[in-house]
Amino acid sequence: MNIYLYDGTFKSLLDLINKLIELKIKPLDIKDKENFKPNILDNMIELELDMEFDISKIKVSKNIMKTIYYVYLSSDEHKELIIYYFLLNALKYQDKIFTMRNLKCVNSALKLAKRVSNECHKLKGFVRFKEINNHVLYAEIAPDSDVLELLSYHFAKRLANEYWLIKDVKRNMYSIYNTQKYYIVSGKNINLKDIEIKEEEKEVENLWMTFFKTIGIEARKNKRCQMNFMPKKYWKYIIEMEDAYEKGNNR
Amino acid sequence: MTLEEKLKILADSAKYDASCSSSGSKRINSGGIGNASYSGICHSFASDGRCISLLKILLTNCCIFDCKYCINRKTNNVKRAIFTPEEICTITMNFYRRNYIEGLFLSSGIIKSPDYTMELLIKTIKMLRYKYHFHGYIHCKAIPGASEHLLKELGSLVDRLSANIELPTENGLKLLAPNKEENKVTKIMSYVKENRKSSFAPAGQSTQMIIGATKETDLDIMNKSEKLYKSYDLKRVFYSSYIPVNKDKLLPSLTTPPLIREHRLYEADWLLRFYGFKTSDLLDEENPNFNILMDPKANWALRHLDEFPKEINQVSYYDLLKVPGIGIKSAKRIIACRKNFKITFEDLKKMGVVIKRAKYFISCNNKYFMNREYFKKSFIEANLILEDNVKIENKKEQLSLFS
Repeated sequence: MNIYLYDGTFKSLLDLINKLIELKIKPLDIKDKENFKPNILDNMIELELDMEFDISKIKVSKNIMKTIYYVYLSSDEHKELIIYYFLLNALKYQDKIFTMRNLKCVNSALKLAKRVSNECHKLKGFVRFKEINNHVLYAEIAPDSDVLELLSYHFAKRLANEYWLIKDVKRNMYSIYNTQKYYIVSGKNINLKDIEIKEEEKEVENLWMTFFKTIGIEARKNKRCQMNFMPKKYWKYIIEMEDAYEKGNNR
Repeated sequence: MTLEEKLKILADSAKYDASCSSSGSKRINSGGIGNASYSGICHSFASDGRCISLLKILLTNCCIFDCKYCINRKTNNVKRAIFTPEEICTITMNFYRRNYIEGLFLSSGIIKSPDYTMELLIKTIKMLRYKYHFHGYIHCKAIPGASEHLLKELGSLVDRLSANIELPTENGLKLLAPNKEENKVTKIMSYVKENRKSSFAPAGQSTQMIIGATKETDLDIMNKSEKLYKSYDLKRVFYSSYIPVNKDKLLPSLTTPPLIREHRLYEADWLLRFYGFKTSDLLDEENPNFNILMDPKANWALRHLDEFPKEINQVSYYDLLKVPGIGIKSAKRIIACRKNFKITFEDLKKMGVVIKRAKYFISCNNKYFMNREYFKKSFIEANLILEDNVKIENKKEQLSLFS
């Protein structure tokens, strides 16, 4: 059996899987060619893919497509294969698929989709902007899943009249919003050397720190609980947890 | 006084209010900044593990009332401060733009009169909505005794408008909060209930009771909650462990707040709202308090063991909900999935059922998880308590799940 390659985009993945299903080919694996280091025994195949593939050609409901998209955003190393088998079954069973958790691919897909939507929801709260030059808001994140697009959609509505930038440090991707639209751009094509953080920014941050420290009730102190809800992996980019991040614990 | 000093005083005096939820509103951003998220968003978690969603502050901690349990009572010698509306707007906007918060929670001590205080609250929130074009979430506490036209105005500006009942019985209130009258609080609740719509307190109302400051039993408390949910369509009743901030001969001298009791009350509260339980199922005059060692649902199940084990592939939704370890989501999944296939113990794990609790109370395709001889109260009880105690010791309580 063979390993099939796609170019990392959602469209190309769906196009590939759609073709494989049409040709009744069962792949050994499907991989993003940008990030895949092949083994000497692997036999890799690139099918000719259509850059303008129309996703609506795939006859499944919105909910199924949304689930597939969320799985695609996850960082699971088998996500492509999970999507392949999930879609294969979804074409057959349509929305009934959501109640077929006894199938391994369905259970895995629903779990991964849930993980991505959970992380996205958490980050909607944990993203911290700083004001930089020209009143632009700037935030850095390093999520497990690729939630930059989902977050951008959220903040485009919420901070509609602002100019903002979110950087996914892990993937070196930026989302840039200009009060009208956001654009997702690779860090390779962007130069942000002249970021300046103003003095006043420190004042707002201090005010926030004062609030954050004051609002906890000493008699109910429970740092373990705090950490369960705000896991360590996010501390680096949450202003009020910077101290804890540097110390390595929140005690 | 600097802005920072003020914030410190007025956040400190607001922190005993348990409510921080930002859910239930669909307010959209119309040409300004901010919108509401229907499910609510937690932005941070404080050192006590409680979620921080809203900028929770008092407009002022000056107060003409003298409620015994309250840190801001008239006779206490504490530093007093008052925010100007402009200051509140500045802080809110600065925090919101940086995504520190989901919105504002504004309450206040009572200065001069209830109406005067309400007018100040209204002025502040009007400024935030119209001058700063803020469309984020706002939860405001109404002042008991304020005039109806002010309630009307405030409600049309905020997402949630509520008043705290404070104590489960009128007697408790008379004893500890002589200036407050229950009917003034319930008047606000009725008003909000009658007038609630998309342009008036769309996220509804909640209230709060202090636990352990007076002698009421859990039965008194749950009866009160049940009545409040029924009469006023409340979204939530919050329970707040009494924390001794004042010394008074009328108050108990606790050293630690009754956190586990509070936790049990929240569990029971969930059972009332989503699981089809009634207070009378859980407590009675003979057992007026919850078992500290075991959660109310497991406790109930053990007392009704004749209704178990329940067959996963057969029983109704509400019967599934009665099983310890099965929640709303997993019950719904079971109902949907069993149309397609016979569910086994293995499958239940995938559906989010807490097997180590549920296994004693269920059967799958008429199979019990072990020899049926062990289906006995004493055996199950011992196992469940053992497990819970390990949990309590290791983790204390996950209190902020509920606030």
